[in-house]
Amino acid sequence: MDLGARVAEVVEASSAEFVAQCYKLNQAPPLGSLVKTRDELWEIYGVVCNIETHSLDPGRRVVARGEEVETEDQLFRANPQLTKLLSTDFKALVVGHRHGDDLHHYLPPGPAPIHGFVYTCQLEEVTAFTQSLDFLGLLVDARLPFSVDEVIAACLRSASKSYPDSEAFLVKAGRELAGLLGGDSQRLNSVLKRLR
Amino acid sequence: MSLDLTQLVAQVEDLAASLKTREGERRARLVFALETLQSPAAELNHLARKIETSKATWLVAGLRERIDLRERASPCPENCIVLASDGSHIDVDRHHSARCFLINIGIAQLQYGRSPDACLSTLPLLYFQDGEVAISSPDGREVPIEGQLLGIKRSVEECRLLTERAREVQAALPIVGLLDGSLILWGLAGQTYPDFVIHELLTDGLLKHLDVLTELHRNRQLAVASYVSFPRSTDVVNALRLAICPHQPVDCDHCCDGKSESRECDAVGGLLDRDLFGRLLASGERSAIFISRSSVVKKHYGIHEVNFFYVKLDEEVARVEIPLWVAEEKELVGLVHSVILDQCQRGLGYPVALSEAHEKAVVTGGDREQFWGLVEQTLAESGMWLESSAKQQSKRMRWI
Repeated sequence: MDLGARVAEVVEASSAEFVAQCYKLNQAPPLGSLVKTRDELWEIYGVVCNIETHSLDPGRRVVARGEEVETEDQLFRANPQLTKLLSTDFKALVVGHRHGDDLHHYLPPGPAPIHGFVYTCQLEEVTAFTQSLDFLGLLVDARLPFSVDEVIAACLRSASKSYPDSEAFLVKAGRELAGLLGGDSQRLNSVLKRLR
Repeated sequence: MSLDLTQLVAQVEDLAASLKTREGERRARLVFALETLQSPAAELNHLARKIETSKATWLVAGLRERIDLRERASPCPENCIVLASDGSHIDVDRHHSARCFLINIGIAQLQYGRSPDACLSTLPLLYFQDGEVAISSPDGREVPIEGQLLGIKRSVEECRLLTERAREVQAALPIVGLLDGSLILWGLAGQTYPDFVIHELLTDGLLKHLDVLTELHRNRQLAVASYVSFPRSTDVVNALRLAICPHQPVDCDHCCDGKSESRECDAVGGLLDRDLFGRLLASGERSAIFISRSSVVKKHYGIHEVNFFYVKLDEEVARVEIPLWVAEEKELVGLVHSVILDQCQRGLGYPVALSEAHEKAVVTGGDREQFWGLVEQTLAESGMWLESSAKQQSKRMRWI
């Protein structure tokens, strides 16, 4: 996936999160990656926390239909309508915003705009955003249907790739997490194990 | 709850018992019909002549091929385009002050082969102008488009949009256009609509759009067909009635007037064409091509005379209707036959393109409510006083 590319569009939004529908099936930004969308005043940053591919019509179930073909690609080529009937969506937890040149690692005044275009972030932008790790507080407190620690670890692994010294970044992130999860060593260990 | 199912149980049991009793009789008739199909009485030239000279009260299929013909499908072209259109509508509601109706057309364009692609689209069309909600004659007579006539108008629109889409196709691939239901506008056959209504919907409507498809077909491999799932037609069984009729020439009103039970032809009575071909055909085979001799087709359809064949699928026997210009080209018939089989295989028993067009077209009960809500809201915002019937209000606010 090209970094900085327009990949999706916001279809649901609240102050703390937004859901975006991908333009291409199965082409969501990776779990934990930093994405952004724009309002007139702000750029809103989010961390991808869940990816779903489902039928566009909630009343129509996807059924298995590939018994007679050898590969999944053949299945899609034989049923070209499938790509128009399925949708890949992802949810992003809002972790900060930019107003002019000022980066803030807390929630913006308003939610992401519906139909706002969603872009993946360039490596330099990831580096700039993660200079401060204050956003980790927002992730640590998030409530998801599965363990948010998976998202925290994925986010830090992904961000570390934008640094020449990934290890140093992860050590710094580990310290930040230790501060946030100090009283919960089991949880801290669980996240740290996932940073490798 | 207004329907008391407990009161219905005994009646439903009676229904099941009655169907079971009739089943044995139906099977015997079917065996006889199949024997007749392959007897000298059903020989092509003999029976075709008998049909042509008959004065039957039944709708009897015309023959162009041996009545018991079975044809296997040729391989479906790897590269081809299947277009399908289907529609639904919201009828004029006399309980609302705004006189309008809505036709929602779904179009599916599926391209197979080297560059597989799909385009699924919906076109909702609102009709509200005086010239749109009624058909007018030059001398000022008006027939409102509602009820059955709106159903016919919708069929015409389905064909129009299928034609438009076919015109836009750039890829040089064979195209099969599929419509749902019958090519015959049956509503115009049974009712005594004035000629100007028939002219508008048929001559200037469906047939004009089919003319465009005929033109397109001159420059590319293109066929159009309509698909009838679970057909209840009896045209071919009625041809068998003529085959076993002892009277020559057949003249039902003259020979059997008033005889309701002892007619020889009743030996195949109660059967449907699909019963016959369900037994005669092997999976994937098509029947002979027959000609519809319905009055509306004979009188108006010309080069688009409706021909049809039955095709046996895994789940059912379907009726496929094609215009004469398709029926006369062996390659096009083969294309339609193979594409329909292929579509049914891809679509779990029903042509996938028609299924997707239907999904795009369908208007649910919720959609209907939202539509009328939108109309009312928009009229109210425009400062228009809204009348609606007391009955409508009563339905909306159910009270005790």
